[in-house]
Amino acid sequence: MDDYTVGVLTNIGLISFIALSAYLLILAGEMSFGQQGFFGVGAYVAGVATAMYGIPLPVAAAMAMGAGAAAAFLVGLPTLRLRGLYFAMATLAAAEMLRIVFELIHFQREIEGDPVGPDGTQGFRGIRWVFENGVEPEGYLAMVWGLLFGVMVLFLLVERSKLGTTLRMVGEDPELARMLGVHVERFKLGVVAAAGALAALGGALYAHHNTYIEPRNFDIMLGVHSLAYALIGGLGTAFGPLLGVLVDIGVLEGSRVFQGYRMIVFGGLVAILLVFRPRGLLDEKVVHWLKARFISS
Amino acid sequence: MVKSAIYLVLILSASPAFAQRVQGQLACKPTATDFIYECTIRLARGGQPLSGAALTVGADMPSMPMAHNVKPVKAKPGKAPGEYEAKLDLEMLGEWAVKLRLAGPVKDQLILHYDFDEKGAQPVIRSGRPLRK
Repeated sequence: MDDYTVGVLTNIGLISFIALSAYLLILAGEMSFGQQGFFGVGAYVAGVATAMYGIPLPVAAAMAMGAGAAAAFLVGLPTLRLRGLYFAMATLAAAEMLRIVFELIHFQREIEGDPVGPDGTQGFRGIRWVFENGVEPEGYLAMVWGLLFGVMVLFLLVERSKLGTTLRMVGEDPELARMLGVHVERFKLGVVAAAGALAALGGALYAHHNTYIEPRNFDIMLGVHSLAYALIGGLGTAFGPLLGVLVDIGVLEGSRVFQGYRMIVFGGLVAILLVFRPRGLLDEKVVHWLKARFISS
Repeated sequence: MVKSAIYLVLILSASPAFAQRVQGQLACKPTATDFIYECTIRLARGGQPLSGAALTVGADMPSMPMAHNVKPVKAKPGKAPGEYEAKLDLEMLGEWAVKLRLAGPVKDQLILHYDFDEKGAQPVIRSGRPLRK
């Protein structure tokens, strides 16, 4: 594989984590414009752990997931009282607050004569674990997709379980779920924390792929795209968000047919799909048809 | 299979060994074609020009990470020691994080932030000072 293909595939894998986290929240009936904040929390926590304290990446990624879950839990506590558009706006405000916090953090250590660590708007350089441990781009690609595969297996297992049924019920009819004995608020809080952890894992991997992060990486554009990927790909299966990422990064950007006009095409595509297929390309009907056609037979 | 698993565990659990950092600078001028720039890259390590590196140059937009996949190009050695030349094909004007990936004896990645416009590329100034290389 050439460098370009490896780069595109790695980016598709990385951005899929945040798209899946947005998808998880949509299943629970909530739209978040703020998953980029938890992606950023994961990136900063894992970056500090490996670059400043020499902690191995797997441990740092676990720490990032914990921090992402905790941050999402804290954001979810007050915001889950809100509904629909108000919740979406509250998550966006929370993500912007996190981004401003990243701009204010100046926390560095001198390592080998160089200051390493978050330096406000100047960003955080020297997240070099991948290079210092001789991981080649192909190896990192395998790591990213291996973890993504694990996450997908988890999603598919949950979707086939009682937990998955409860998740969709809470998302589609919370009153019915409440009547059937589900503690909806507590359940949603758990989903928000899990989605935060997932976004943070993506952030941790992104920071180590890029070796540099800055607050601007985690602004609203990333949040809007992650939501759009879930909505384009479809809400019928966890493969939906992946399909959304593939359509944008893989086909529109990867083929470079539209060059600088890609964002316009992407915006138009989102608008058309929201009108004609409001639950995305792989919606529940299509997934049901595919299952009946290929799995049952 | 077992060997691969052991190798992966060893890689994942290894602690970092800090090495002397590579510094980089960029000078770009526009070509007759929109968004294509001829760039000269200067690399140094420990204050000395770094020649003989296998250098690949890519770029990403900080405001939309992972969404712009500029095709990485291999840089050719330039005229002076530590100098390399590459042609960058960007998608649009604006701030780009230019990624310099070094392979061979020195393995590293540098991210240089430059504002690309019709005249060329200028280092990004943030909080009143240029971004550290």
